[in-house]
Amino acid sequence: MIRAGYDMRHITLSLMREDLPSAGLVLAELESFAPDERLVLESELPEIPGSNFRLRMRRAWGHYDRLVALLGEPRSAPGDSPVMVLRREQLIEIDQWLADAWRQCAPCEEKLHEIEDRTRELNELERSLADFADLDVDLGQLRGEHQHVDMRFGSIPAGNIERLRDVLALSHHLILDISGDEETRRVLVAGRHEDAPVLDSVLHAAAFQLLNIPESFDDNPDALRVDMQTRREQLGKEDAELRGQLDNWRDTNHRQLLHAKQMLEAAEPYVNLRGAARTRGPLAALQGWVPAKRLGELETKLRGELRLPFVLESRPPRNDERHLVPVPARNRGLLRPFSILVQQYGVPRFGEFDPTVLFAVTFVSMFGMMFGDVGHGAVIVLLGIALRKKLGAFTRLFALAGTSSIVFGFLYGSVFGVEHWIDPLWIAPMSDPIYMLTVALVWGVAFLTLGSIIAIYNRLLSGDQTAALFGPGGLVSLVLYLALLGGLVSLAQGRDFPLVATILVLLTLTVLIVAQWRSTAGPIGERIFTTVIETFEIVNNYLASSLSFLRVAAFSLNHVALSLAVFTLADGMGFVGHWITLILGNVFIIVLEGVIVTIQTLRLEYYEGFSRYFYGDGTPFRPLRVGRSTTR
Amino acid sequence: MSRLASQAYLRTRLAIMSGNLHGRRRLAELAELPFDELAAKTGFDITEGSRQSSRLAIYERSLMQTWLDELSALLRPLEGPARRLLTQWASRYELLNIKVLVRGKIGQLPNEEIEHSLFKLPGFLSLNHNELLNTDTVPELLRKLQKTRYQGLATQALRRYEERPDPFLLDATLDQQFYSDLTHRAQMLGGDDRSETVNLIGRIVDRHNLIWGLRYRFNYGLQPSEVLYLAIDGGRVLDRARLQAILQADTLAEAIRSVPAHLLNHETVPEEITEIEIAMRNDLFDYARRAMRRSPSAVTSALAYLVLRHGEITALYAIVHARANGLSDELLHDALDIFKGEAA
Repeated sequence: MIRAGYDMRHITLSLMREDLPSAGLVLAELESFAPDERLVLESELPEIPGSNFRLRMRRAWGHYDRLVALLGEPRSAPGDSPVMVLRREQLIEIDQWLADAWRQCAPCEEKLHEIEDRTRELNELERSLADFADLDVDLGQLRGEHQHVDMRFGSIPAGNIERLRDVLALSHHLILDISGDEETRRVLVAGRHEDAPVLDSVLHAAAFQLLNIPESFDDNPDALRVDMQTRREQLGKEDAELRGQLDNWRDTNHRQLLHAKQMLEAAEPYVNLRGAARTRGPLAALQGWVPAKRLGELETKLRGELRLPFVLESRPPRNDERHLVPVPARNRGLLRPFSILVQQYGVPRFGEFDPTVLFAVTFVSMFGMMFGDVGHGAVIVLLGIALRKKLGAFTRLFALAGTSSIVFGFLYGSVFGVEHWIDPLWIAPMSDPIYMLTVALVWGVAFLTLGSIIAIYNRLLSGDQTAALFGPGGLVSLVLYLALLGGLVSLAQGRDFPLVATILVLLTLTVLIVAQWRSTAGPIGERIFTTVIETFEIVNNYLASSLSFLRVAAFSLNHVALSLAVFTLADGMGFVGHWITLILGNVFIIVLEGVIVTIQTLRLEYYEGFSRYFYGDGTPFRPLRVGRSTTR
Repeated sequence: MSRLASQAYLRTRLAIMSGNLHGRRRLAELAELPFDELAAKTGFDITEGSRQSSRLAIYERSLMQTWLDELSALLRPLEGPARRLLTQWASRYELLNIKVLVRGKIGQLPNEEIEHSLFKLPGFLSLNHNELLNTDTVPELLRKLQKTRYQGLATQALRRYEERPDPFLLDATLDQQFYSDLTHRAQMLGGDDRSETVNLIGRIVDRHNLIWGLRYRFNYGLQPSEVLYLAIDGGRVLDRARLQAILQADTLAEAIRSVPAHLLNHETVPEEITEIEIAMRNDLFDYARRAMRRSPSAVTSALAYLVLRHGEITALYAIVHARANGLSDELLHDALDIFKGEAA
């Protein structure tokens, strides 16, 4: 069926509260239930269960995440992922264990940060001393107290230096940029002693860090170097010790950490039900959307897992719910890569025309028409198969596009650009380019007309009658387009512009202008301007779009021309050069033409097709799943 | 879209969107209404949910969503620097969230309470609030912030915080970065777009520098040089020297007297910082309204519209919260007085 989400059903599961977590798990394992969080059951069942449970889960995940950031993800053995219902008492226990675990590890993390800071300071000092070693400066003068002058040496973020210089200049301080890199600069700041409080506050705002120059630097630089090396080694030792402690902790507690993760993941479906589940005393109900074909399976699983009685009701979506119904993507079989490309553009609204099948058929057809060659098509198919691990779902796109090239290759009689090895079943493009361009134009007109019909259908379905009739791509503009086209064809054939076409053109144009005028607000000049531009845009858009399809023929001609160029080059060379040129030329054609034709086909689909009829703002189907949700 | 077409598109869009602005009188009328009626009058039917708090949250989200939808519509024909400029304006909500997070962590508020005050942001604003929320202390929060696009700012804030924990320093640095980025993006525009947007942003920066400068200096007791360091570059009237002259005054009254008269545009000399705030907001919003209608630059008109709309949304937030917290009509009117500019 080509209507998006046509088989979705709204379900209401009435059950006992006790069974709610198990029901959540069954629905998550089915991977076909999207929760409906509307408040339709609120009057009968006013409470949303599990708010405390949710808060505790969140806190537990918070502790877990921080532990994992420090210790790394715990590894699980294959088959070591039990899926079970997490009871409230178990959750409290896990949360407390994780909180205790974090309390044990947090001091180590804090100390690691301290070591990092001290190492950075040490590096900074080393670099500063290296700078001073090259300068003829008496460091004794920079150290200690001075009677009138307040001098400070330190580092600041490079981005702050200009602002600091300007501000200090206003308060009569000096700043000397000594050295540094793009991130940090080492500076000397000097001012009057009595202005020290001013300097303190400004330097604090500028994130200035004071560097203390050791006294031994003047008289015994070697001793200082040894001292700094010792300090560095000490920091390294402390760091290794802390990391050793953390490794030990992880090894000792690996199983509990993994268990905590698995239990929390198992409880995620219940938590993610959120407002879709409601309760009153011991009674509960949950609601959501399920594809009709999975309903039987769902009922069987619920019968197997729920201990207490339940009632499962389902119904098709009501008209007032259309905008809420989630639409599953067509992810199966050959359509998978095309579905991914459709989703790049948007999700169809419920009930509207799902463009996936049409997109797949027209994409493959146009690719073949533009790149029809038996040999090159076969190479594309083989390439897809060879790279199937990397390409994943897109292997099918390679296979289909390549096969289409092969089919059109037979129709055009072209094998690796050679046009005399087989007879064309239809036509060799170069034999009649005008005919090819005419075919492409007819194809384009058919494509645009079909697109407009789908657009009218989709808009009527959305209740937007005005857009269906008067909007771009609506009924009136379609009639105008076809009448104009009919008249132009008649003129091209040497006849007059038909009277019927003239009447239709004038009539539809008038209707469009009136519709545009009525839909525009603002001052009169602006309304005239907008009406003229918008109406012109509608007419122009159809004509430009039709001509846009000439590229389908142009690329089929281009393929022959490129092949001819390769053969001409190859013929001018010796035996070896001839074959090298032929091989490289064909590789060049496959890569260059393959990429360009794919881009051009996608462009035609997105701009001339989707933008005409596809809203793309539907609700994606996001089923409840076992495991941690990424959008918590 | 060509420049001419994008200008035409923006103008048309703005002509339609300007009807969404309520204006001062209508906003005062809205303040008289009960919440449900106010929501309905501003175009939202908040019938779902029986609890006041959940309806309030839905209303706030709807307002925010409307603003973002309008921003998306205005962004559509824009590309390059103009697009980046308007997107930067949207990131102020991200900044507000960081401020809420830092204040919440300093006040050791529960995560749920902090989260309640955060804006729910769209995908193109990429800050992961959940991760920042999941921290115990300000340094831990800042270390997480170091892994985002606010890396430089977080590194400096961490240094300062370890030396002396001043929450307003982080606020000031965030504002500084935001407006510097905004001015930088405005400078990337060409011709009228550049001069007009720089002018509008300059007025916003003047207002910010003066109000916050006076607060830092006379309410928080900071040194003039420190306040000057925290000021934002790119003001239209208040350059560093003028700001220094104001900040070096010994009293607030003396400082106010040294503010250039044309900046306040007030019949009487204000005595309080809040009065200056009202006067400057009125002035800014008057200018923004003129820019929205008459600026030769469509990008500036779009930015002016977003400024005005943001101001009105802030005023509506204030009204509904005042109503929810049971504030008296008198207090609500006092509070609304602060939003005169936004409401106008």
